[in-house]
Amino acid sequence: MKSHRIFSLGILVVALLLTATSVRAQFSYESSLSLSGGAYAASGFGTNHYVGVRYNYFFLGGRYFVEAALGFSSLRSRVLESVSNLRLFDTQRLYAYEFVGAYDASPSGYIPFITAGFAGINQGGQSRFAGVLGLGKRIPLPGFLGTNQLGLRYDIRDHIFEQRVNGGDSFIAHNIGFTLGMQLYF
Amino acid sequence: MIACLLIPHSGIIAQDSVPVTTKQQAVLIDLNDGVTFEVSPHTGLMGSSGIFGLRLSMNYSSFNLELAGEQVIGRTANLYPISVNVILNLATRGRLIPYGAVGTGLLFAVPTNTIGDETVSSIGVNFGGGARYYLTSKFGIRAEVKQYITTVKSNRDLRDELLIFQEISLGVTFMFR
Repeated sequence: MKSHRIFSLGILVVALLLTATSVRAQFSYESSLSLSGGAYAASGFGTNHYVGVRYNYFFLGGRYFVEAALGFSSLRSRVLESVSNLRLFDTQRLYAYEFVGAYDASPSGYIPFITAGFAGINQGGQSRFAGVLGLGKRIPLPGFLGTNQLGLRYDIRDHIFEQRVNGGDSFIAHNIGFTLGMQLYF
Repeated sequence: MIACLLIPHSGIIAQDSVPVTTKQQAVLIDLNDGVTFEVSPHTGLMGSSGIFGLRLSMNYSSFNLELAGEQVIGRTANLYPISVNVILNLATRGRLIPYGAVGTGLLFAVPTNTIGDETVSSIGVNFGGGARYYLTSKFGIRAEVKQYITTVKSNRDLRDELLIFQEISLGVTFMFR
């Protein structure tokens, strides 16, 4: 089992490093809009599907950008449902909005960009202010569908905030999201 | 993950990267050159509560008229200040433009973790100052410190209580003509 995990982690590392070997990032566009989907693991609840949109504004040669993002997921927990049918919040809906800055040290190279910022997390009707750390990579697709404005991107984000359930002791929660998306530059 | 593995082998070669270069101007920003509009998303802190907000402003020379809305995320309630502000720009040319602001508006307190409480609204005033630093002719960074003052009726003795909030925010600003 341990060797299986190491192998899976190795595949992920190779995938992260190989994404930009033969492409160079497009710096000629100022903005981009992307639609992303993936998985979102809410701390203490489980992993559910995640969909979101992101707007990026690039400056200083594309090495820096700011981003506004909105995403939707769920707090559904199969463990809680099967063990006790417990309902901790009024609703299972979860949405998160982010405002982050990012630095891309190697837009056409191997190194992913890093992001840092803040997010508002609404879990089951309760709002939390969270810090955001993450990384990702933009993969332009020049010539795809006859245009140079399309690209792929992946993002890994960690939403860090103080959580308190049923009036108990507070703890620091980490909600982790991984998304893959299609990006439109304009 | 499969897509990431396949793309490097497709033989695609991107067009040459062309860094965005800012057109060299004698003065990057000149607020005396007609009316401009700005959209400024921001984040920050009000006390120990985090905030997200958006400001829309119309600039003409030394004066800006601004509409601002925010969400202050508290432990038991969220506060939504919506205000109309007048801004006095202490400079009208160059990259760095400091300013002072004063305004008035409504503050809505919406309970989130309590049962039976209702939304409370009150009229408040705010004043403060900040600075905008433009990296390009369309984009810049904005920092602001502001104080909100409002009154709410106390449930205990029905007297008006004076509430004062301090806010510090950091965001970006997009300029349009």
